[in-house]
Order: sequence, then C-alpha cells, then structure tokens
Amino acid sequence: MSALEVTLVTRDGERLQFPCAATDNVLRAAETAGYFLPAMCHEGTCGLCHARVAAGAFEMGAHSPSALSTKDAAAVLLCRCHPRDNLTVDLPYNRSQVLRHRVPVREAVIESLTPAWHGAVSLSLRLQPDPETGSAAEFSPGQFMELTIPGTEIRRAYSLANLPNWEGRLDFLIRLHPGGAFSTWLAEQAKPGDKLTVRGPSGAFVLDELSARPRCFVGGGCGLAPILSMLRHLGEFQDSQPTHLIFGANREAELLPEQEVETLRASLPQLGVTLAVSQPGSGWDGFTGTAPAALEAWLAEATEAIDIYACGPPKMLEAINAIVDQRGRGDRVIAEQL
Amino acid sequence: MFCYQCEQTTRTDLGGGCATQKGVCGKDETTADLQDLLIYQLKGIGQYSYRLHQLGQADAAADEFIRYALFTTLTNVNFNRARFVELIAQAAQVRDRLRAAYEAASPETPRLGGPAAFAPATALPDLLKQANIASVRAGADLVGDDVIGLRALVLYGLKGVAAYAHHAEVLGYTKPEVGAGLAKALDLLAGEPADINVLLTEALALGTLNYAVMELLDAANTGTYGIPAPTSVRTTPVAGKSILVSGHDLRDLHAILEAVKGTDVKVYTHGELLPAHSYPKLAAYPNLAGNYGTAWQNQQLEFAAFPGPIVMTSNCLIEPQPAYRNRIFTAGPVGWPGVRHIADGNFSQVVQAAQALPGFSETASEKKILVGFGRHAVLSVAGQVIEAVQSGAVKHFFLIGGCDGAAPGRNYYTDFAEKAPKDTVLLTLGCGKFRFNMEDHGTIGGIPRLLDIGQCNDSYSAVQIALALANAFKCGVNDLPLSLVVSWFEQKAVAVLLTLLALGVRNVRLGPSLPAFLTPAVLGVLVDKFGVQPINNAEADIAASLARASA
Repeated sequence: MSALEVTLVTRDGERLQFPCAATDNVLRAAETAGYFLPAMCHEGTCGLCHARVAAGAFEMGAHSPSALSTKDAAAVLLCRCHPRDNLTVDLPYNRSQVLRHRVPVREAVIESLTPAWHGAVSLSLRLQPDPETGSAAEFSPGQFMELTIPGTEIRRAYSLANLPNWEGRLDFLIRLHPGGAFSTWLAEQAKPGDKLTVRGPSGAFVLDELSARPRCFVGGGCGLAPILSMLRHLGEFQDSQPTHLIFGANREAELLPEQEVETLRASLPQLGVTLAVSQPGSGWDGFTGTAPAALEAWLAEATEAIDIYACGPPKMLEAINAIVDQRGRGDRVIAEQL
Repeated sequence: MFCYQCEQTTRTDLGGGCATQKGVCGKDETTADLQDLLIYQLKGIGQYSYRLHQLGQADAAADEFIRYALFTTLTNVNFNRARFVELIAQAAQVRDRLRAAYEAASPETPRLGGPAAFAPATALPDLLKQANIASVRAGADLVGDDVIGLRALVLYGLKGVAAYAHHAEVLGYTKPEVGAGLAKALDLLAGEPADINVLLTEALALGTLNYAVMELLDAANTGTYGIPAPTSVRTTPVAGKSILVSGHDLRDLHAILEAVKGTDVKVYTHGELLPAHSYPKLAAYPNLAGNYGTAWQNQQLEFAAFPGPIVMTSNCLIEPQPAYRNRIFTAGPVGWPGVRHIADGNFSQVVQAAQALPGFSETASEKKILVGFGRHAVLSVAGQVIEAVQSGAVKHFFLIGGCDGAAPGRNYYTDFAEKAPKDTVLLTLGCGKFRFNMEDHGTIGGIPRLLDIGQCNDSYSAVQIALALANAFKCGVNDLPLSLVVSWFEQKAVAVLLTLLALGVRNVRLGPSLPAFLTPAVLGVLVDKFGVQPINNAEADIAASLARASA
C-alpha cells in the first residue's frame, strides 16, 4: 500500500506535509520527515502529543483513556493515530514549537595535520565562533561531518574520532587514497591555518545508551574513527557494561597502536580487545583472520544477545549480518558503511 | 517491570501500572527492576538502622544514604541503570556496616532475616533475575491489592519525605528523628505488614514526619538564602550567554551563580526554580537574569530552544532530545545514560559550555511576573487580609497546589483559576501554576489576586499561612473560607497529601486522577475518614467550595 499524505497545520497556520504509511503512526512519520513534535511516552499514555483531525479517516491504536478526551471524536494522540485516508491534523501549538532538524554549516580552521598510523592522517580542526551556532563542537559520538575542499564544491564525509567538547575541536582519522580529491588536497596543499567549511554533525551511527546489552565494536582502518569516539565517550561516562573491541587489519603494521589500546583501557577497564590480522607475518601470535571471523569466534563464547556496532566496507557488514543470522540469538547490528 | 508510583502511569481496564519494557516516564525495564532491588535493600538497611536508632547508635551516614537513594527512585529523577548497579553495591556495604554495628551492640540477638539478609548479585543479568523478590506487587496473591496499595502508599510517602529531607540536608539541616522515622517505616515495610490499620497509621505517621521535614526545609531555605519577599521576575530573555537551571535545588543554583560571578553569563531559572528569585541572597546576584519556560512537561521544546547549557538539579527530567543532549547536565540525584553528570558541585564546565554556545542574540521585550508570597510576606499583610475577608471583599481562598503534567485532564486547573470569582484569592504552590500564572488576575484592595507561595517544597509555608489565618479567625483550618485543590504527579505530592491528612485537613480536592496504587476500598477510607475528593469539573467544584460543601 502506498503512503498516505499527512498535513499538519500549526496553530499559526503553517502546513507541514509528509508521507505516512497506513501501518505507521503520524508522530513517527513526522519524525522520519524531520519534524519533531512535542511527545513523551510514544505509547498512547502521557497525552502530550494530542491534536485534532480536521479532515480524513483515521484509526486510533490502543491508548490510555485518561490521555485523550472522549468528548471529541476528532481528538487524537499522534503516536497512536494511523491514517486510513489523507489526513489534515490541527496542532495545538505554533510552528516554533515543532523542532526541525537542520544540519549546521560552519567555518573551521586546521589546527594540525599529522601522520597517523599506516597511511592515515590525523586532521584536527577548530570551529570558528559564530553568533548563531557558538563555538562548541556538539555531536553524538559516531556521527560524521562533511568537509569541503576550500575553493571547490568537493565535499567528503568523515567520522569524528574525538568527543563533543566546548573548545570547538573536531578530530578526524583520514586514510589517504592515492588520486582521491580530498586525499590529494590533504597531502599536497592543506596546512594549519587553512579555513574550510564543515557541515554536520550527521548520521545515525550512534550508541543506544538505553540498551543494557554487552557491546561489541567491530572496525578496521579508518572505520575505527567513530568507534574510537564511542569508546572514549563510554570511558568518559564510566560506563560499566561489558564492552569488546575487534579491530581488523591486513597486516600487523596497520593495527591500532598498543598505546591507543592502553589509553582506552585506562578509562574503560572492562574493555576486551581482539586484534585480528588476516595476513600476518611469521611472528604474529594473535588472532589470524578477518574482523568478522574474529567476531564469530568471540560470539561463540557469548551467552547473551549482543549489540554489535560495526563500521566498515559493505563486504564486512554483509559477513557480520550473516554471522548474526546464523547465531540466531537476537544480536543487533548497528552499522555504518564506509 | 511493574511501577505505578506516579499519576501518569498506564491505566487500562485491568488496573493501573507500567508493566511493559518502558514506563510512560521513559524509565526502562532494567532501571525499574534495579530501582526495586535498591528499595528492597533500603528496607534491609532500615531494619538495622531502626534498631540502632533505638539503641542510641544511629549511623548518620547510613541515614544520609537512605535519603539520597530513595530520592534517586522518585519519578523523573534517575534513569541511569549503571548508577543503580553502583548504588546496589553501596547499599550492600552500608547494610554490612550496620549489621556489624548492631550485632556488636546486641550479640545475643539472632541475625535479622528478610531484606536485611538479601545478598545482591554482582553482575547485571544475575541482579535482574533477583528482581521479582523486590517487586512492589510481590506477595499480592497472598495479601490482596488493598494491602499492596497501602504498602505502596507508605513507600511512596517515604520517598517524598526522603526527597524533602535531602534538599534540607544539602544545606546542612538535618535532625536525627528524620533518619529514625524513615528507618522505622522501612523496617515496617521489611516485615511485609498485612494489617490495613497498621499501614494507615504508618502512612499518617509519615505525614507527621513530613511536616517536621518540611519545617526543616523551610528553615534550611530561609536560613541560608533569606526570607522570601515579593519579587518581580523577568520572563523574557536578555541578549547574551546563558545558563538554564531547572529542578528544585537552591544550593545548586547558588553554586552556579557563584561560578558565573564576574562573567557576563546570565542565569535563568526554569520550572520549580522560579520561586528562587524571591530569596534575597539569590536575587542579589546580578547574573540571575530571570525565568525561562514553564513546567517540566514542556522541557523538550523549551530546552531545545534555549541557546545555552541546561542543568537539571532534581526532578522532573524527561528523555533529553538529540537537539540538546550534549548541553544538558544532571546534578545531585538526577541521571540519564550518556548525559554529563556533575557530582561534585563544580559547575565550571557548565560555564565553559555557556561561553561556547551562542546565547540569546537579542533582548526580548520585557515581561514580568510576581513571585515570593511565602508565609512571611502573606502574614505581614495578615491584617489587611483579615479585614478584606471581614468586609466581604475576599469571599474565599483557593490554594491551587501541586505538579503540572501533560494529561489533558490538567486543564481543570487552568479552568479553575480562570473561573474562580474575582472576589476570591488564588494561592499557588508547585509547578501547576504555570498553566495560568502568566495571566493578569487583578488585585483586591491592592493585594494581587494570585499569590505564589513557592515550590511544592514550600508546602510548610502554605500550612503556616492556613494555621495563622485559622488562629486569627479563631477557628480550625477546615472552617476557614479556604479550599485546597491539589494536582499530584509524583511522590513528594504523596508525602504532602499524607501531611495534610495527618494535620486533619479535610476536603482536599485531588486530581487529575487518583493514585492507581490505591484500590477503591482504600480510596473509600480516604474519602470517608478525611473527605478527600476526586476533582469533578472546575465550575461545579468552585460552586461546591463556595457553598462549603464537604464530603
């Protein structure tokens, strides 16, 4: 069934339109479309998302009788309102009370550009103070920013590796691809003091901190950047849930330096780490194989359902999904494709 | 998970209670179960603490732990399961210490059983397997819903008393009898009482204890920050960097004002901190710029629109939206997973955040409201008030007190304030007032018709005003031209209701819905014995109040 059209009309007359499948509810469809309406329980109980249908057929799902006026047949809770027709709904508040997710565009200056491990560079930017957005680096660990090469329209998205901070610092771990536009600019032209435009934060590869499950992070190469940010965040908040990191590389030289692992462990003592090398030299005594193979071995010992946070190429993510399906324990894969 | 401690709990034909993976407030199943376990342990600590109090060997640190831990389990306070895992481990240590002290003092006594003997697991999955023993409905099949509901009434009253006592304690005001009273109630609950009269008596004893605690809190607030005085508070923003402080905790607000001293960062109060402006020692800070926003249930919109950091010092926190999750901080008993927590009273990073965030770009046109009619201010014009009643200029007083919330039934309180005749005075208390306090309600003989007494934490002040008027008119509180219209939401309101009942105040109108944990039979007792009345509709209730109709 194709999606129906929902029109929300704010008290001050603005019309917000978006599609909503008959199986979906109006509140969730609005959020998918980027409109965040006042809401709390999302379960038909608190009454915060009440509104009034002006036109169109709808069906109300299960909800608490105390949350909704029974005197008005057109009164609905948006979290329980399923359209059966194109709907027009009157909202009891003004447009200014509907949050719209907008991605900020700001200026930043290169603070440092240094070689990281094996063919990658560490790029550190500082946001320029702006009257509208201030100077803080606000993002959720795991999110990315789009960087524009100065004087061009060329934009590339890179995950943030550091933590949100009030100094406005944005740290990236970028692998240089020979011939790549951004890589070439970074390698040949970029220098501290250069200004560039950053757009973000964006992305839904973020921690589900309400989940009580053990967490396993799987990444390799620059897929580590968002995972590093997440692990640093868990460390900063002294998270106590079981946490494991699987870092995959082709050769030992591409592995995460031991010192990085120790720094993470200092703030996250429960962190278990598997370094997996698929083509190791003769002296390697760690896990031999790919990151998904290391995950499979680690999951074989796990008794609970796991939240797996994976960042890597499509092939790696496909392999992880196959392993999880095979295991059949209800593990959840939260992934970012590189 | 099973939780029915607040007003907005899920209600179905089968009864009230949040029993799915997540409660209406946003508390998940794991956190709810861990909170139940912590409460169960606190009952065990209460068993030892009560006995040590009787022996004159009270452990003040254990009493403090009980108050803080109970406070964390109030509605909309702490959602961070990791914090509860820590508190459960700490509770086991506190219990062990008290057990050792008690057994040293009474070597002949056999070891206590029940919650006092509970050994919590260390790993989270094992802890969750133990949670059934601690459910608020444990034993329902044996003792029935009336008893379970009354045990819940005692427990929720306890939580409210503990929260008020904690607020007083952080300002350095404690009394050993508060610790003893809380321990006694916990000890009683540990014994799984099934006698309805015993439970009702304990509920009223907690009401009496809460009266003493409210007095202590009043002394703490006025002793530390001065006597509240009528104060005009700006409710629109001023250009510049800004911090928003919500919750109830005056000490945290004071610490933030100290932290911004000498900067141009402006501090705004939110929700229940509005009355803070009436304390002279807080109002004296030039950085205290005004109040921003309204009651707790509107925080997602108000916080998202606020251009600076936000500090939540106590309840009511609801799930921080992505729009402001990075710039909201919790303090004291409050917590949310992944939200920065300030445990040591050092708010310097909040100031740093304020400097980095944009702040208000322009000054809005000035709007003000009047607050600060606590007992001192009202009683200073007692002569005028009495004269106004005697001359007929004031026909009646309505105390519209308690919490706000999202349910549409709460429109009743707005209707009540709007429809109350112009020759009546509206006294407000708590955050329910935000539904109508921005309107101009006029004056009677130069006295504003709407007098805000303060936070829900200032209920003592309201009771003192009522007692003083009763004294002046040489009658009882129930004979005064005064009606109490109470909106409840969380457990502090339960404690205040128990105080009113313990003081013999009758005919309290309670809404928007009655507690889900009380069965019709127990509610019947409250109606018969204390005249507690569910709200009806505003016009009918106003008319009944003016006619002094009672239940």
